[in-house]
Amino acid sequence: MVKLYAVSYLLCLGAGVHEAQAQASTLGTGGARAAGLGQVSTVLENDVWAATNNSAALGVLTRPMVGFGAANKFLLPSLNTASVVAAVPLGHRATAAGSAAGVPAVVAAADAPRFGVVGVMAQRFGGKLYAEQALGVAYGYQLGTVRVGARVEVLQTSLEGLGSRRTVAASLAGQADIIPRKLTFGATLYNLNQARLAPYQDERVPTVLRAGLGWRTSEKVLVLVETEKDVEQDANFKAGLEYRPVPVLALRGGLATRTHQTTGGVGFKSGVFQVDYAAAWQQALGLSQQVSIALQWEQKQP
Amino acid sequence: MMRTQRAIVGLGLLLGLAYRVQAQEYPRPAVPDLDRLTQELFAEAQNDQVPHEDLYETLLQYYQTPLNLNVATREELRSLLLLSETQITNLLSHRQRTGGLLSLYELQSIDGFDLRTIYRTAPFVTVHTPDPNAARGPLWQRIQQEENNALFVRYERGLQTRRGYTTPDTVRGGQLATRYLGSPDKLLVRYRVSRARDFSLGLTAEKDAGEQLAWSPSTHRYGADFYSGHFLVQERGRLKSLALGDYQLQFGQGLLLSSGLAVGKGAETITTLRRSSVGLRPYSSVLENTFFRGAAATVAVNATVRATAFVTRKRVDASFSQRQDTLGDYSEVASSLQLAGMHRTPSELANRQALRETVLGGNLNYASRSGDLALGLTAINTQFDKPLLRRPEAYNAYEFSGRQNLALSAYYSYVWHNALLFGETARTSSGGLGTVNGLLASLAPGLDVSVLHRSYARSFHTFYGNALSENTRNINEKGLYLGLKLRPLARWEVSAYYDQFSFPWLKYQVGAPSQGHDWLVRVTYSPTKTSLLYAQLRQRTKAYDADTLRLVPLPVPTERRSLLLFYDASPLPILSLRTRVQGTQYREDQGPRRQGYVLAQDVTVSPRPHLRFSGRYALFDTDDYDTRQYVYEQDVLYAFSVPVLAGRGTRTYLLTQVDVNRHLTIWLRYAETHYRHQQTIGSGLEEIRGSRRSEVKAQVRYRF
Repeated sequence: MVKLYAVSYLLCLGAGVHEAQAQASTLGTGGARAAGLGQVSTVLENDVWAATNNSAALGVLTRPMVGFGAANKFLLPSLNTASVVAAVPLGHRATAAGSAAGVPAVVAAADAPRFGVVGVMAQRFGGKLYAEQALGVAYGYQLGTVRVGARVEVLQTSLEGLGSRRTVAASLAGQADIIPRKLTFGATLYNLNQARLAPYQDERVPTVLRAGLGWRTSEKVLVLVETEKDVEQDANFKAGLEYRPVPVLALRGGLATRTHQTTGGVGFKSGVFQVDYAAAWQQALGLSQQVSIALQWEQKQP
Repeated sequence: MMRTQRAIVGLGLLLGLAYRVQAQEYPRPAVPDLDRLTQELFAEAQNDQVPHEDLYETLLQYYQTPLNLNVATREELRSLLLLSETQITNLLSHRQRTGGLLSLYELQSIDGFDLRTIYRTAPFVTVHTPDPNAARGPLWQRIQQEENNALFVRYERGLQTRRGYTTPDTVRGGQLATRYLGSPDKLLVRYRVSRARDFSLGLTAEKDAGEQLAWSPSTHRYGADFYSGHFLVQERGRLKSLALGDYQLQFGQGLLLSSGLAVGKGAETITTLRRSSVGLRPYSSVLENTFFRGAAATVAVNATVRATAFVTRKRVDASFSQRQDTLGDYSEVASSLQLAGMHRTPSELANRQALRETVLGGNLNYASRSGDLALGLTAINTQFDKPLLRRPEAYNAYEFSGRQNLALSAYYSYVWHNALLFGETARTSSGGLGTVNGLLASLAPGLDVSVLHRSYARSFHTFYGNALSENTRNINEKGLYLGLKLRPLARWEVSAYYDQFSFPWLKYQVGAPSQGHDWLVRVTYSPTKTSLLYAQLRQRTKAYDADTLRLVPLPVPTERRSLLLFYDASPLPILSLRTRVQGTQYREDQGPRRQGYVLAQDVTVSPRPHLRFSGRYALFDTDDYDTRQYVYEQDVLYAFSVPVLAGRGTRTYLLTQVDVNRHLTIWLRYAETHYRHQQTIGSGLEEIRGSRRSEVKAQVRYRF
């Protein structure tokens, strides 16, 4: 019981309350790359974690991918998250020319899968006293310079001794290249149906709208900004920067205004593997860490 | 000719529409993107008093009957609000040098016309040879044959029951509580046919939600609550315009007469500052007070002088109070004019059309042959059948009282090189003087500036004026406005203004003379022809009485700062995306800063040419009503919607437009605001139990 108090105390502690509440959904862990970039996630591309971050970005994946992630908040064992995601492209585009009118073939990502990409994700957060599970299916599709996506997931919340509740949340996502390969816009709407967890005090799964811009200043540098609004919380403004000095290594940094969190991260990419690590520092609550591994199937030789 | 053709082809390619060049007709967009344009013109809605509808209507009017660039005068081109003075001068001299434009594509060969200007202007202008009416038979035949000939029927209703429609549950002073008399349905029927520089005919009938459909000649009610109709003919030899029924007038800087072309302080800091003397315009909107009813005519005395005379007589809404002082020469006085146009409850009905207003006036306008110099005189006399006397509050001390008001004004406008000087000065029978003078100048190809000074005495009484001001009316104000528009790089534009104002006398909720200022900076970036990004910062400091227990009111500076980030793009021809982030900080004196925030995402999809869906999902969160947010929404054609969002929740809407066939178009709209942690929404008779407020709207257009 002492533990439960400790957890609820933490949950209510100033800025920590927001951070923890955001966990009442699958928005929390979208891979260590996003975590290192101040949780800016709407404009990230080429990432299997798009299945949780922005399903629209799945649309560009050309090969099957699978990812495993583990995250911990504030060094407390009861705030652990474990997740697994997978993405499978459906069919290949036969011709090299993009199908969208007026868009150059190079830009239209000619090799985007013909029938889009399906992603699945499973996630568990919490410990013995309080736990959340999520199981979702996402779909992304590329249309010229635009990607659209949707996701449906089943969320289950369980409190020891109080039973559990289950609900379904639907989400929409989009990405557009304002200037191809330079300026990208992304937006996601999580839980548009405003799924209700309990009638008591009208408790609902957070509805969150996010919009962001990603600017690739050069091949090596990516600058990201994003605003996030949870209906029940103050607006959050986030920024992130990714620097890739050599192709195998990525260095990341970021911050978020509402949670007063600064983040940093590092990523390695070699062949079929990608490993990312992220750390976040919150003045009052301390350190959070996250690690994720993604595996990409080799391109089939035609 | 060869050169022109080559230019046209080359430029056509530039526009990406080369295949259309053969026809030499620019394909005007089927659905004008008026929302985007209005958002570009208006900085940010800050209250619901601004009659956006009127401007919207004007733009639509231009869309329906586009301005012919080959015959348009300088003044008409200015009234589009989209062209700078240099662009107009260049267009006119191009026309003089090479004759009329052959196609809209030719605009690109004129100095100063950048692609953005052309795209913005294209929906509202056309190019064809002069006098298309010449060979088209008598007027009634032209009316019959006119293509833009349409009947609109609109229906609107809130889905939740508001308290005003329930049975009265309380009794006060032996009387049942007030309830609305009519049904919650809103109805609008409207017929309109018009042709630029030829004729316009229109009829409108409207019933607001809560109003009754009643036939009672004794209270001037004949079915619907509001009717409007007009018939206007233009260009009949010396008779330039003749209007019967409802009309609007705009002359000079709008000090005495201003129709709906007033944008006010907005993000367009140069071209909207000056008002155009567009003269007589038909009226077919549903705002129940901003028009004249009667007859008006404009006659060309000679090639440069035009005379306008008008007479109007209509009933306006006013609330009454019995005069306490029996020594007065009247016992019943109107204490205020009611402008809302709502007649839902017995007391609103009692005020309906309670005052009769008779207006007589005239205007004399001189425009030099080149259009560079314009001078004018306006006289307008207003007569009420009952005297008007405001409530005896200190801030009303210099307001108009009595039965009659005569106002005279003189205005000028002169183009000198790259500068345009303009102004108007007026005096009303109370002795109050109002003057507004300004300058627009293009200092360099990429830099425009504007200056406007205004001074409206506390006893300056104008009923139909709407010159630039911070107050909603032109009274008790002095101010200086400085504007700037800079295009440092090809795709970038910076616009900014700074406006300083002071109110020499008291105002409602301001118990002492006060002052304030207001500024805006907007940086616009358009990376491609179909996308637009901008960031806008606006701040206004104005005094309001502090909430203290002192007996003497103490105005303190109140600051409102707002940030707007806007992104608009159509990455595919069938898809358009729009994102808006809007935040406001509000602070009274040294008090706490309160905040409001909205994030809205819009998507418009047009999978088939005759089908269009638009939707929005927005989240809002404001600390209180002072930080409330106004967000533009897409609506059925001819309607305009800027809902107020306060509290915490979500706002969604879905709009569908279907072109069933050549004649019939249907619009359907559903909108919902879902509040969090609220058991009731609204107050008084508008109160709803529950946490949702939703409306449905349907509109049908039948083109004959």
